[in-house]
Amino acid sequence: MENDNYDGPILEIDKLSISFFTRLREIPAVMDFSAKIMPGEALGVVGESGCGKSTVALGVMQDLGVNGRIVGGSIKFKGQDLNKMTQEELRDIRGSQIAMIYQEPMASLNPAMRIGKQLMEVPMIHEGVSEKEAYDRALEVVTDVKLPDPKRMLESFPHQLSGGQQQRIVIAMALMSKPSLLILDEPTTALDVTVEAAVVELVKDLGKKYGTSMLFISHNLGLVLETCDRICVMYSGEAVERGSIEDVFDKMQHPYTQALFRSIPLPGADKNARPLIAIPGNFPLPHERPEGCNFGPRCDYFEDGLCNENKAIPMYPVDGMERHETRCLKFQEIDWNAPIEVGAQTEKPEPGRVVLKMDNLKKYYEVAASALFGGKNKKVVKANETLSFEARESETLAIVGESGCGKSTFAKVLMGLETATDGQILLDNKNIEGTSIEDRDTQTVADVQMVFQNPFDTLNPSMTVGRQIIRALEIFQIGNNDEDRRKRMLELLDLVKLPRAFADRMPRQLSGGQKQRVGIARAFAGDARIVVADEPVSALDVSVQAAVTDLLMEIQREHKTTLLFISHDLSIVRYLSDRVMVMYLGHVVELGTTDQVFAPPYHPYTEALLSAVPIADTSIKKKHIVLDGDIPSAMNPPSGCPFQTRCRWKDKAGASLCESEVPPVRVLADGHQVKCHLDDADFAAMEPVIETPVAAE
Amino acid sequence: MEPLTWTGSLGSILVPAIVITAGAFLTGLILQLIMGLFAPEVKLQANADGTLQGRGGLLGRLENYTGHLFLLFVLLCAAFIVLSWFMPYGDAGIMGEISKRFLPVWISLIITFTLSIKFKRSLGLYGKLFDSTIGMIGFALVMFWVFTAIFVGLFDMIATHDPLSQISGIKNKTPGFPVPEGQDEGFFPHYLLGGDNLARDIFSRMVEGSVIVMVIAPLATVFAFMVGITLGLPAGYYGGRLDTILSFLANLILAFPVILLFYLLVTPEIVATGLPNFLAAFLFVFPLVFFGVLINSRFKTQPSKNMLYLAIVLIPLAWLYMSTISAKGSPLFIWPNFLDGFDIPGGILVVFVSVVFVNSPTVYRIVRGLTLDIKTRDYVAAAQTRGEGTWYIMLWEILPNARGPLIVDFCLRIGYTTILLGTLGFFGLGLPPESPDWGSTINEGRKLLLIYAHPALPPAIALLSMVLGLNLLADGLREESLKD
Ligand SMILES: Nc1ncnc2c1ncn2[C@@H]1O[C@H](COP(=O)(O)OP(=O)(O)OP(=O)(O)O)[C@@H](O)[C@H]1O
Ligand code: SF4
Ligand code: SF4
Ligand SMILES: [Mg+2]
Repeated sequence: MENDNYDGPILEIDKLSISFFTRLREIPAVMDFSAKIMPGEALGVVGESGCGKSTVALGVMQDLGVNGRIVGGSIKFKGQDLNKMTQEELRDIRGSQIAMIYQEPMASLNPAMRIGKQLMEVPMIHEGVSEKEAYDRALEVVTDVKLPDPKRMLESFPHQLSGGQQQRIVIAMALMSKPSLLILDEPTTALDVTVEAAVVELVKDLGKKYGTSMLFISHNLGLVLETCDRICVMYSGEAVERGSIEDVFDKMQHPYTQALFRSIPLPGADKNARPLIAIPGNFPLPHERPEGCNFGPRCDYFEDGLCNENKAIPMYPVDGMERHETRCLKFQEIDWNAPIEVGAQTEKPEPGRVVLKMDNLKKYYEVAASALFGGKNKKVVKANETLSFEARESETLAIVGESGCGKSTFAKVLMGLETATDGQILLDNKNIEGTSIEDRDTQTVADVQMVFQNPFDTLNPSMTVGRQIIRALEIFQIGNNDEDRRKRMLELLDLVKLPRAFADRMPRQLSGGQKQRVGIARAFAGDARIVVADEPVSALDVSVQAAVTDLLMEIQREHKTTLLFISHDLSIVRYLSDRVMVMYLGHVVELGTTDQVFAPPYHPYTEALLSAVPIADTSIKKKHIVLDGDIPSAMNPPSGCPFQTRCRWKDKAGASLCESEVPPVRVLADGHQVKCHLDDADFAAMEPVIETPVAAE
Repeated sequence: MEPLTWTGSLGSILVPAIVITAGAFLTGLILQLIMGLFAPEVKLQANADGTLQGRGGLLGRLENYTGHLFLLFVLLCAAFIVLSWFMPYGDAGIMGEISKRFLPVWISLIITFTLSIKFKRSLGLYGKLFDSTIGMIGFALVMFWVFTAIFVGLFDMIATHDPLSQISGIKNKTPGFPVPEGQDEGFFPHYLLGGDNLARDIFSRMVEGSVIVMVIAPLATVFAFMVGITLGLPAGYYGGRLDTILSFLANLILAFPVILLFYLLVTPEIVATGLPNFLAAFLFVFPLVFFGVLINSRFKTQPSKNMLYLAIVLIPLAWLYMSTISAKGSPLFIWPNFLDGFDIPGGILVVFVSVVFVNSPTVYRIVRGLTLDIKTRDYVAAAQTRGEGTWYIMLWEILPNARGPLIVDFCLRIGYTTILLGTLGFFGLGLPPESPDWGSTINEGRKLLLIYAHPALPPAIALLSMVLGLNLLADGLREESLKD
């Protein structure tokens, strides 16, 4: 069955339909999906969660679980129909010609086996090569995925590696069999931005080097732009638009694609002058799809009688563009170049008096060096190191950094879940750094509230939505009796734009975005003046993100709230924050207004971070700065400057200086401070990372 | 009166039919297993009309046949039961008469199942149970004994004789033996399952035994859960030294030889020191603490409501508690007699103490593990950031979300407790010797087992079916709760 001189499409999916059968009903997860991948080509599949991206991938792998079935269409791999193969043949193909990389690296690694052994197993089982040859090949791929010290890597166990290194090993394992098709399902979602950038770069290079075709699944348009040649946009189980990256990004032919691009914060968007346009409504559940066009109820161009006619809509080829198709009945009538209707513009509110002030805040944790004989060797983890800043009324301060930088620790100390080791936190000039939450008075607790990251975790699954908000009201001593509180609870639901009927629903009956709104309502139950939002939208779909962000902004304007917005997503930070604080390994490395931070001079870490963020705009040029290695562990931080292990400016500033001394805080401009040894001339010579074309619009 | 035969007049047709179907079904099943080893794997393939292609060929047909045979078997058994209802006394034999005695149970089962299956979509996890055959069988077995206990205990139905009264001449007589002439005034004419060595009716003792088992096993298990939960939650939530100490204690108890403990608890010298009473006083306080904290943490913010609810729940509980632990002659005779509602016989106290002792460490471990997991959720963090008390977080934010595994474990644990009751009875511990509970009766029947097997079998089969039912029920619940 080897046919090495095959030169047709590697993968050809034709009118594929996949359903899952549950006890209640059949769930059509994918309908009428077609795609073609030529040798060496990379196809990106984008869409919101639940639209069927992963199902397509699993369908290609013929691995749909017990209740998933292919109910129509064909999947041809190198001309052979995968549907018609036996398990035996499939296993053979899966091991040697198609490889898949999942979001969670540990899911594909055996925790009890050395890396080298796991890698060598692949060719030894599938091709029967000798152990020596397998070892050589393992060494080669591990070198190819740019892991340091490949020989030692082969000797280690998966848990001894960091997340980014594990993902590289998974990629190496996929490459061991020299597959013709590589399927990547959100391969970098579990990774940090700078690590993600490096892995993406690697995948791109390897694709070129090995000539592998790729099916790249992601919800991030920017990532797809960076990695793929062609793109397929999915919505609610169907492909709605398909074409080359340039055609789809610049000359889109489907209203959903257009709405998607308008709802993500690209450079140039601004919360006051050019707010994002959220897609109205919610993603339909598979069994609640409307008649006719699935996107109909949320589409700006919807035409009654045409778009909701009960008839399947085929993919229409777009004239004049190669292999560009769209599933819209009106694509020829729509004026795709019409200027964007600018949403309601708002005045930028003036920041008021200082409400919160942190002064040299330090938080150290003592951890036992060895779990077994605790008590003797205490190690100190410096989670927060000399944090100082002020936050004013109606101001949004963004706190940016990758995992382990101490963002959550800082939030915990502020909330009173932990007490500070040193330094001060002043809330209205009152010291609260030493008072834990039990000792705080109700007003202080109600004043500082938090919105959490994971919508699926933020609400108690066994309590109704209304009950949870009422509980917050009870504990903040608002309202005199149950009726009062119920009334107030309904008003809070109005505030976050949820129907009042939701009060009696259980959280599992709500979508992610709706849950997040309830979380916001709960945080504002006691009229909070300072709200810490820990990545409030990062787990939401792009089209919902915009709506939730807007809601937060709106409530903030009305209530003059101080918003501390914790995020690693620089696009959204640039869009909504007034000031930005960049953290690395517990240190504040840069602090300034949004404009100051996003324009040179940068701190070297900020520069790398900016370059790592994928931007879904073909006209934007980015400087490529790929950081080597991973973020050091906070248990074992580098000496001197925390960033020195990965800094590309280190030599300019003097390597020995950076390695031995923690840099001082330098004030570059009014309100702009940076922690770095570089001298003024070097700062002045920095070039912008992101170049927006001057004549934009 | 003539002795009854096992199957009466139905026997000549139905019994051979049932035996033949059962035999055929079993052979089919074995054949299928063997062929399955060599059969090619199934390839799921959609047909053009949207249907799915199943397995064809010989094996496919065999699968169909065995399925039908099983249905036939079930139908025949049902026919046996139903037909016997309409036959005059004696005609349907022992089996028929027993099935007749259980008539109220059959009716309740049918009603329960029809209603539950009809509304299963709106009944949450309970409703999902009716999607799993295993779960349904388990539920039916358990409910059979529950209904039996209800009808025997509350309405005095089903049982044919008094479980303690003896009729001379029926000592150790085989099933279906008629009550001798002259003594049958006002008595049911036969000992359906024969008489034991004190000439008591075995059938009646078996169904009476279900009442004792049904009351004590769940109640004792509830106590074990209260203790396990009240200790497991803080251990998991706070961690640290508290966790270390409690976990160490739990392991210590688990490592302790249980039988030795039972003997210790009933040794007269130990009883004289009052140790069992003190232990009971300690263990029975947990429900009070549990409910007190549960209500207080929830309504602390509204003092008037809090007081009211606490009073409503805690006053009766406190009365129950004092009545339970205080008894004449015990070292804890501290409660004025006119307030003492009832005395619990010392044997039952021992049963409770041992069941709690044996089960709570395991419950503790499960709760602790679940707490460790759930406490990292954001909604727990949200509760912390709005300044909730720790008990509120543990009891209202964590515990309700740990309920799934706990319900499953509860079912299994009632099964263990039932066996434990039997074990205790078997050693002559716990309940009084004449008690009709299953453990004691099995023990009694054991003594003459080689000569007369029939007294020990019915309670043994009852115990078996009940524990099997609980296990199947737990399995069904676990399986269904994992599905979407
Ligand atoms: N209770 C604790 N004991 C010991 N170390 C801790 C504790 N909590 C946090 N740390 C350490 O402090 C450092 C900062 O952690 P923190 O949770 O604040 O990071 P983060 O920026 O929020 O990361 P993420 O984005 O992944 O949530 C990490 O190295 C972490 O291991
Ligand atoms: S078919 Fe109609 S509703 Fe659907 S995307 Fe096109 S214009 Fe919108
Ligand atoms: S101090 Fe040195 S190592 Fe640190 S960021 Fe500046 S140049 Fe880089
Ligand atoms: Mg965090």
